[in-house]
Amino acid sequence: MTAHILTPEELALLTLVQNELVPAYGDLPAAGTLGATLTVDAYLAEQPRLRRPLLTALRAIEVRSGKTPFAELDAGRRVEVLRQVENADPESFSELVKQTYNAYYTRPDVQASLGIDGPPQPMGFRLPAFDESRLARVRAMEKLWRDA
Amino acid sequence: MAAPELDSDVLIVGSGASGAAAAWSLSRRGLRVTCLEQGRWVDPSDYAHSRPDYELARQTSFAKDPNVRSWAEDYPINNSGTPIHPLMVNAVGGSTVHWSGHFPRMRPSDFRVKTLDGVADDWPFTYWDLEPYYDLNDSMVGVSGLAGDPGNPPRSPRQTPPLAFDAGCEAYLRGLEKLGWHWWPCDNALISEPFGENRSPCNCCGPCDIGCPIGAMSSAHVTYWPKALAQGVQLITHARVEQITVDRAGRATGALYYDDQGVRRSHTAGVVVMAANGVGTPRLLLNSTSARFPNGLANNSGVVGAYLMFHPVAFVSGVFEEVVNGQRGPIGGLMNCQEFYETDLARGFVRGFELQLSRSVGPLSVANGGILGHPVPWGSEHHEALRSRYAHTMTTSVMLEDLPEPENRVTLDPELTDAHGIPAPRVEYRAGENTQRMLEFSIARARELFEAAGAVEILVDPLVQESGWHLMGTCRMGDDPERSVINGWGQAHECPNLFVIDGSTFTTSAAVNPTSTIQAVALRCADWLGRNYRAVAA
Ligand SMILES: Cc1cc2nc3c(=O)[nH]c(=O)nc-3n(C[C@H](O)[C@H](O)[C@H](O)COP(=O)(O)OP(=O)(O)OC[C@H]3O[C@@H](n4cnc5c(N)ncnc54)[C@H](O)[C@@H]3O)c2cc1C
Ligand code: SF4
Repeated sequence: MTAHILTPEELALLTLVQNELVPAYGDLPAAGTLGATLTVDAYLAEQPRLRRPLLTALRAIEVRSGKTPFAELDAGRRVEVLRQVENADPESFSELVKQTYNAYYTRPDVQASLGIDGPPQPMGFRLPAFDESRLARVRAMEKLWRDA
Repeated sequence: MAAPELDSDVLIVGSGASGAAAAWSLSRRGLRVTCLEQGRWVDPSDYAHSRPDYELARQTSFAKDPNVRSWAEDYPINNSGTPIHPLMVNAVGGSTVHWSGHFPRMRPSDFRVKTLDGVADDWPFTYWDLEPYYDLNDSMVGVSGLAGDPGNPPRSPRQTPPLAFDAGCEAYLRGLEKLGWHWWPCDNALISEPFGENRSPCNCCGPCDIGCPIGAMSSAHVTYWPKALAQGVQLITHARVEQITVDRAGRATGALYYDDQGVRRSHTAGVVVMAANGVGTPRLLLNSTSARFPNGLANNSGVVGAYLMFHPVAFVSGVFEEVVNGQRGPIGGLMNCQEFYETDLARGFVRGFELQLSRSVGPLSVANGGILGHPVPWGSEHHEALRSRYAHTMTTSVMLEDLPEPENRVTLDPELTDAHGIPAPRVEYRAGENTQRMLEFSIARARELFEAAGAVEILVDPLVQESGWHLMGTCRMGDDPERSVINGWGQAHECPNLFVIDGSTFTTSAAVNPTSTIQAVALRCADWLGRNYRAVAA
């Protein structure tokens, strides 16, 4: 079994939160369900400096949820809680959002949904050649530089 | 050529844009040249371009801010006194290892701002004195572009043709043609067709800012270094210089440095050449105190570290309804608009700026704020918002001339040190009043351009924090030893066998990216030093 940085409870909460941050789209499930939670857990293992803001944001979400756990709130209330945490501690919350985006948009299936069929190399892109005739007006301009 | 007991004829500190060019030039004359570089060779496997998570490299291993990247070879910088953070790479090839390769030249008026506009100081030479070295440098590194720009003096044919003209260029062109403004495909330090050895032409993959894995980008480790090494230059990596040593007469004798095992060593040379960039060079000179130079080497004038210039940058992005695919093609170099480059006092400021019409980034970087730091909202609007920006955005950098002011400076931090205990630099900077007025005016022009081009949304970052790419002026050139550190050949006024050749030499900043000028200046200084070595080292 792989050791996680986050506890099972924290992982479960993070999945729900990520599903609100980046909801399902077309055939793509929401970010947490798609696997962004475990990717973020791996980031926390590699970059310990991320642990504090992320854990702070998760704690704040639990606290703001009140007596009813976040998992049992309806969708509207979940978003309300997240907005409250975002306003109260924008720094930690924005790190949570950033790491969720990091985990989500580095997935080939998500990239494919945006029409990306692979990383930039080795294929690169073929772009049309430069067309010098487009410079006709500018070529006719007077010299724009001062000699000195 | 030097006394046999010396380790080298010339010791160069730093292997970046300027150090590499000088090492090549000096070794061509048969001088024994050693370069001490704190970084390492970037390993081809370090590049992330073939991985789906390549965009993460911008936040981690290839982050441009050394404080964020935190390689073992980096040194910390105290940025608390500046809204603009200095950016750099500490590796063989220096900050050209991951950069944008935008390669414009300064204009003749840029060297004569005191004479023409009554501000700052003139450089100790003219554009025309430097022109042969611009040409030499271009022929060494390989530039893509097109001669014939009415915005600049005529120039030699470019080594390879301009890069592609795609949908993003069409979008910009709509605006430029409507407004009747100047534009030209910009010179780029990257090759669009075969040029040089072991290099492939650019295949328009996109993220040059995290390095170029195929050698298309004309970075110093693929241009000058292979040639310099073939000419016998000794390049010692993982060698962090602590200070430049001097004798009783106040002449430079070499350097003390820490090797890759952390052992403190000394290297002696007839001449020392500083090429550690606009932050690293003043840092080392200030740390090199002696009875003769209690305020730091060559700093009895107090000018070392002062007059720091960045190019304060605003980013303006235009979001278009049509697909412009700004993530394809080299991120930086597309077109330049120099309509507002020369002084027109009716605008409310002196000197001018250029609009650097550039491209954009992939989906992750767009989600996290694109080039501008405006993250895409989370929640139910997320996907539509992301899809409206990704592949639909082009970004213009507003790059303006920063005037030199003595209060903007690099000093030594009293507490912060690097891993070897060497004092770290502290940077203090604020944008002057002329700059503020120019920023406001130039952002309005960039907006006007995007409006004319039909952008449906315009996003602005009025002063980009992560824009300290260009580190200039901290050991400035000049004829007056009270107001400058070095003369027009890079020779220190106070220490005749000490030379400075990197970005810190700039007397004024112009409003274009500096590296073609940094390398041309380095070649000119090295040429003079090579011809006069005996007299200088004697
Ligand atoms: C992200 C980014 C994008 C850029 N884009 C462009 C662009 O499009 N166009 C352009 O013109 N410019 C651009 N630049 C700037 C360009 O890279 C620099 O202007 C240029 O590299 C500066 O050359 P230099 O020789 O002054 O210093 P550098 O190239 O920075 O080299 C300095 C070297 O000195 C070494 N050094 C420092 N201190 C020590 C020490 N104590 N001991 C040993 N070695 C030391 C460093 O490790 C480094 O290798 C960009 C920079 C960055 C970071
Ligand atoms: S766009 Fe061209 S120059 Fe830039 S990284 Fe890709 S291949 Fe290299």
